Amino acid sequence: MESFFTRYRNILVLLAILLAQIVGLAVQVRRTGDGRSTLAPQDGPGVRLIRLWAQDLVAPPEWVIHSAKLGTIGLWQNYLDLRHVREQNQDLQKTVDRLHLEQASLLEDARQGQRLQTLLGFQQKYIYTTLPAQAIGSSGSDQSRVFYLDKGSNDGLKPDMAVITADGIVGKVRDVFPRTAQVLMINDQTSGAGVILETTRTRGILRGNAIGRLQIVGIMADQRIQPGEKVFTAGGDLIFPRGLPVGVVDKVVRDPDSDSFIDVVVKPYAHLDRLDEVLVITSIEPRFSPEMQQDLATSEELKGAEAEAIKQQQKASQIMSERLPGLTDPKAPTANPAAAQPGQAQGQQATPAVPAQPQAPRLMPALHPDRYSPKAAQPTSESKPESRPEPKPELKPGQQTAPHAARPALTKPAVTKPAKASPEQTEKRRNP
Amino acid sequence: MLGADFRHDREIRRYPILVYALIPLAALVLQAWLPRVLGPYALFDLPLVITVYFALGRRSPIQGTIMGVVMGIFEDALSHHAIGVNGIAKTMVGFIAASVGVRIDVENHTIRLILNFLLSLLSSAIYVFTYRVLLGMDLEWRWFAELFRAIGNSLIAMVLFPLLDRLEIRD
Repeated sequence: MESFFTRYRNILVLLAILLAQIVGLAVQVRRTGDGRSTLAPQDGPGVRLIRLWAQDLVAPPEWVIHSAKLGTIGLWQNYLDLRHVREQNQDLQKTVDRLHLEQASLLEDARQGQRLQTLLGFQQKYIYTTLPAQAIGSSGSDQSRVFYLDKGSNDGLKPDMAVITADGIVGKVRDVFPRTAQVLMINDQTSGAGVILETTRTRGILRGNAIGRLQIVGIMADQRIQPGEKVFTAGGDLIFPRGLPVGVVDKVVRDPDSDSFIDVVVKPYAHLDRLDEVLVITSIEPRFSPEMQQDLATSEELKGAEAEAIKQQQKASQIMSERLPGLTDPKAPTANPAAAQPGQAQGQQATPAVPAQPQAPRLMPALHPDRYSPKAAQPTSESKPESRPEPKPELKPGQQTAPHAARPALTKPAVTKPAKASPEQTEKRRNP
Repeated sequence: MLGADFRHDREIRRYPILVYALIPLAALVLQAWLPRVLGPYALFDLPLVITVYFALGRRSPIQGTIMGVVMGIFEDALSHHAIGVNGIAKTMVGFIAASVGVRIDVENHTIRLILNFLLSLLSSAIYVFTYRVLLGMDLEWRWFAELFRAIGNSLIAMVLFPLLDRLEIRD
C-alpha cells in the first residue's frame, strides 16, 4: 500500500487537488429554472474569504504602484503647468466666474425640477450624493471585466451602487471589502443596464460581449435607429438613475440568432479601458451641499441686481419716449374708456354692452405742415375765391399725389383747378 | 539509475525563499495592474508564465501542481467568476510542465518558447472546457485572442526566464 502511494504520489496529488476544485466549483454554481447554470448571486463565506485574502494581498502593492504613477505624473505635470500659469490662471478665473453663474442658474432649474417631480410623483432625482474613488487594479483577465476601487465598506460603499464618471456610466459595485470594492464594468458579458435611446425612445438592455464591446441586445428591427443617436440610462434597473449618459450608437447589426432582432453597438462616453478616477453614487436622495446653497444665494442676488438694472433701463427708455416726438397723440382719447376708468366701468354694468369698435390711431399734427400734411388742403365746401390755397402744379401723366393729400372734388373740378405755378415756385418745392 | 537521479538532483533549480514569495506576488499584481495601463494590448498571462517557469525549474510535478493551483485560485479570486476555473487550468499546466521538465532539456530557449506557447493554449482550452462543459455556463470565446495571448506569453518567457535564472542559488 505504501509503495502504491509512493509510486503514484504525483498523480494522486493532482487528482486530489482537481477533485477539490471541482467540488468547490459545484458549490458555487446553481441551476436556474430553465435548466441553465449560473453563479450564485452572493458569494459563500468561504469564497468571500478567498477573495478577501486575494484582495488584501494584491491591493497594497497595486495601491503603491498606482500612487507612484500618479505622483510621477503629477510631478511632471506640475512642472509643465508652471509655465504660462499666470495667463491660465486669469483665463480659468473668468471661466470659474462664468461657470459659477451657470451652475447657480442650473441649480435653480434643478430645484425647480425637483419640485415638479415631486408634484408629478416621480421617484427620480436630479442630484445625487457621490463618493470619488480611484481605480487601482483589475482582474487581469478580459473574461472578467472588473476593476477595484481604493474605497470600501469603511467608506460607505455597498453592493449595487452605480459607478460613473463625468462622461458617462462605468459599472456597478459588485463586491465590497473593508478597504476596497470590486466594480463590474458595463462591458462585461454578465453585466446589464437598462438604457433608452434619445430620439426613438427605444428601450433595451445594455451588456458587453466577448471583446468588451457594448451592445443593446434584443431590440426589434427598427430602421429609425441610426448611428450617432445618444443613449441614456432608463432608470428601470434600480442601479443607474435615469438620464445618465451612456454613449452613442456606433452601428446597428443584425442579431445572429434572430433576423427580426438587431444589436445596437454603442460607443461608450466613458473611457472604460483607461479609468483612473470615478464617482460612486452612494445616495440618490436630493441634497444641496453648502456650496450649492451659497451658489443659490448668489444666483438670487444676481437675479435681483439684474431685475433692478432692467427696471432702470425701462425707466430711462420711458423718459426718452416722453421727450422725443412720436406719431401717436398722447391727448387722444383711448380706444376703450371703460378700460381706462375701471371704476366707472363697474358702475355702468347695467347698461348694455356695446362692442368696442376698433379705432384708428389719431395722427399728431405736423410741426412744419406742408401741402402733403393731413388737413393741409381745405375742403371744397370751405374754399372761397379769396382764400384759395396756393396753386398746385399741374400733374403730369403717371404722377401721383401724396396719399394724404385731399383729392379734388369730382363734382366741382373748376373750383379746385390749380393755377399754373411759376418756375421759381417749382424750383423751391423741388429743393425746399 | 543512480546517474539519472544524480543528474535530476543536480538540475533542480533552487531559489531563495523570498523569490518563491515575491515573484508570484509580483506576477499577480502586474497582471492586475498592467491591463489598466495597456488596455486591450495586455495579451499575456504572467501567472501562467511564472507557473511554467517554476514547474520547469523545480521539475517536481507536485510543486508545479501546487504553484499552479495557488496562482490560478488567486487569479479567480480577483475576477468575479467562480473560484477554481483558472485553478484547474493552471493546476494541469503546472503538473504537465513539471512532468515534461523531467524528461527534456528545458535550458534551450526554443524549447522554452514552444512549451510556453503550447501550455498557454492548453490552459485556455481547459478554461473553456471547465466553464462550458463542467459548469454548463455561457461564455463567449475568441480563439484569436488566445492565440495572441499564447504568443505574448512565449515572448515574455523568452525575456523573463533568463532574468529569473540569475536568481537561482548556485553552488
